[in-house]
Amino acid sequence: MVGVLIRMKLRVLSHSLGGARAASFAVGALVGLAAGALSLFFVAAGFHQGLSLGTTIASAMFLLWTIGWLIGPIIMGGGDETLRPENFALLPLSPTKLAFGLLGASIAGVPPVATVIAFVGLVVGAALLGPLPVIVAVITVLPALAFTVLLSRVVISLIGAVLGSRRGKDLGVLLAALAGLSYLPLRYVATALVPVLLENNPGLGDTLRWLPTGWAPSAVEGAASGNWLVVIGAVLGLAVVDGGLLYAWARLLQYRLTTPQTNVGPAKARKNKAVGVRRGLLPATPTGAVLGKELRLWWRDARRRAMLLTSMLIGIFIPVFSAAGGRSGTGGAVMLPFAALWIVGFSMLQVSNLYGFDGTSVWQTIVTPGAARADVRGRQWAWGLIVGPIAILAALVLPAVVGAWWTYPWVLGVLPAILGGGAGFMLLLSVYWAFPMPVQRGGNPFNSGNRPGCTRGLVRLASMVFLLVIALPSLALLIFGQVEKLPVLSWLAVPVGVLTGAATAWWLGRLAEHRLLDRGPELLAQVKASS
Amino acid sequence: MVPSGREGYELDTGGLPGYGQQYGAQPSEQAPALQMYGLRKTFGTTVAVDDVQLVVPRGSFFGLVGPNGAGKTTSLSMAVGLLRPDAGMVRIFGVDVWESPERAKALVGVLPDGMALPERLTGRELLTYTGLLRGLDAATVADRANELLGVLELTNAERTLVIDYSAGMRKKIGLATALLHAPKLLVLDEPFEAVDPVSASTIRTILQRFVASGGAVVLSSHVMDLVEKLCDHVAVITQGRVVASGPVAQVRGDQTLEQAFVHLVGGRTGGGEGLSWLAS
Repeated sequence: MVGVLIRMKLRVLSHSLGGARAASFAVGALVGLAAGALSLFFVAAGFHQGLSLGTTIASAMFLLWTIGWLIGPIIMGGGDETLRPENFALLPLSPTKLAFGLLGASIAGVPPVATVIAFVGLVVGAALLGPLPVIVAVITVLPALAFTVLLSRVVISLIGAVLGSRRGKDLGVLLAALAGLSYLPLRYVATALVPVLLENNPGLGDTLRWLPTGWAPSAVEGAASGNWLVVIGAVLGLAVVDGGLLYAWARLLQYRLTTPQTNVGPAKARKNKAVGVRRGLLPATPTGAVLGKELRLWWRDARRRAMLLTSMLIGIFIPVFSAAGGRSGTGGAVMLPFAALWIVGFSMLQVSNLYGFDGTSVWQTIVTPGAARADVRGRQWAWGLIVGPIAILAALVLPAVVGAWWTYPWVLGVLPAILGGGAGFMLLLSVYWAFPMPVQRGGNPFNSGNRPGCTRGLVRLASMVFLLVIALPSLALLIFGQVEKLPVLSWLAVPVGVLTGAATAWWLGRLAEHRLLDRGPELLAQVKASS
Repeated sequence: MVPSGREGYELDTGGLPGYGQQYGAQPSEQAPALQMYGLRKTFGTTVAVDDVQLVVPRGSFFGLVGPNGAGKTTSLSMAVGLLRPDAGMVRIFGVDVWESPERAKALVGVLPDGMALPERLTGRELLTYTGLLRGLDAATVADRANELLGVLELTNAERTLVIDYSAGMRKKIGLATALLHAPKLLVLDEPFEAVDPVSASTIRTILQRFVASGGAVVLSSHVMDLVEKLCDHVAVITQGRVVASGPVAQVRGDQTLEQAFVHLVGGRTGGGEGLSWLAS
């Protein structure tokens, strides 16, 4: 069974590698394997320095890899779904057996191989200590690996189960946002951890050993120092924990296979008064219709909400964290007033695949005469009406919070320019460089599916630079005003920013509109998921 | 308006009536509802549609039948402007779809198969959106949406989002969006696929009323029975080519349509050999 599943997975993997995807796969594989090798080297080097240091480093590495297994799937989109459990739902298998088989199949693939290489560091390190520690290392590395994989599977399945409901989806959106941001706090944890490790802080070493990820290194340490009670305890502990996780995963698999993945209780459109009023406020024109539809979708589509929410959180968190990470406290005072600009930049970047979000529904725009203009303008207005007020609020409040009054003309001069530029580029990118996203039926908001690909990614990064270019007239005035000590000039940047922003939004929107008119069928083919 | 003429019967003999005349920008009084001429589309090395010629007369109920992968969806997508042909021409009431798309698209209502809608709208919201996008005024949209939802029995699902609709409901709301702007031609790709008998019967009645009042319907299907009962014209398409086209009676001869179809497609009904272990 495990053998069949592994062969099946390898075959699927080999089929899904074609052309450009093979290149990015190869790069990812190289990076992953290098990380595994580096980790192996660290552990071996640690054991070379001394038994206790080696054990601490091995425990820390195992913990880091396990954290990677927990965070990776959330960031990368729903975990490894090469073999979907649904495909085996009709086989006469008990859930435990299925979980066991899928666990075996989990070992095939690049991330698991990289992890195996990292974990083998323990065996290599133990080889420096003698034959008995090597035997113990070989015995414990496998359950330690199983622990890492199983914990990841159970946690991800658990989140998946929670995400079944609408409320759970909101939670998931937040989780995804936080996971995406977690590398920032992790960086500080790491900078705090390394000196402590170097000082060989006993308290930390103990903590690392007591975590399940530290049990296998502890067993090796016990074998080397003749403390066999630790060895037996660690092996038994790993066996029990693995068994428990396998059972939990089996239960979760059973739940997943017997409960529909769609929303528990179909999501209803809320019949509240506010929507009616909003409807009434919108003009009964084609553009107004698109605007209304877009506002509804930004609110109702969990994936769209996730995109906006994360971009806003990132926009605020980056200045905050770079302030915290700065050597002095002044970093925050400099960066935080400009959070509004980050918010606009990231919101533009995150939503620059609008037609990809909507999938094939762009056909309606194509078959409707004159709809291209309404579609482009309506989408621009909707994005502007959502991001604009938040960014303006941030621009008005944050400088005052930090007390950096001098930043007001800068923020307020640049903001309208890049807000308009964002509204333009967002559509331009969506139309010219669209990519398909997985069809979402009750789906998982983590699942961002297909990566945009190299060109599309680069173009999106380049558009961030172009946003600055659009702000150049305002920036020129601001710099000139600053140098000449003429506040009037600085404040003149605000209307100039409004003008450049509006002109850019109009012009880029026009480009997008023409492209949509001329190449609508090609856009439709592009966003049609190829799977 | 009385549907004018039933020209186009002689298609399979090569004649393309109405095609010599120089119209193309303005809807013409005489032009057939839909003409496809020399349509061709290749995907990589696969030729999906190879020189397809079709004439759908005004006021006709036209069935496009063919095996899976024959090129039905590809042809219909090219006919309504959703897929750019490599070669050939499409005209809707004499207006070239690829030369003057704005005019042509105003005349046709489309129901594509397997394409998304704005899924997180309710049925009424979707119809309102579609109608306003078509440039109809708000009052007309509200009236028509109300009526369509009623006739299609979607009023009970007033607050359900389209994403939670069943297959039959999706087809019905799709049909409603296609009908909303009162087109003269309906192009429907697999309108009865995965639809329950009750919904199918509702759709059928609406389409028959549409044809009776002078509109033309083109639908694709691989259910021969349905096409034979419903349509007055039929075209058989296989491996990207039209192998027969004309009034149903003429295409099927003295056989049933299904027999004629299997014969035309060169099919051999399989399933009779092997599998001896299955019975034991």
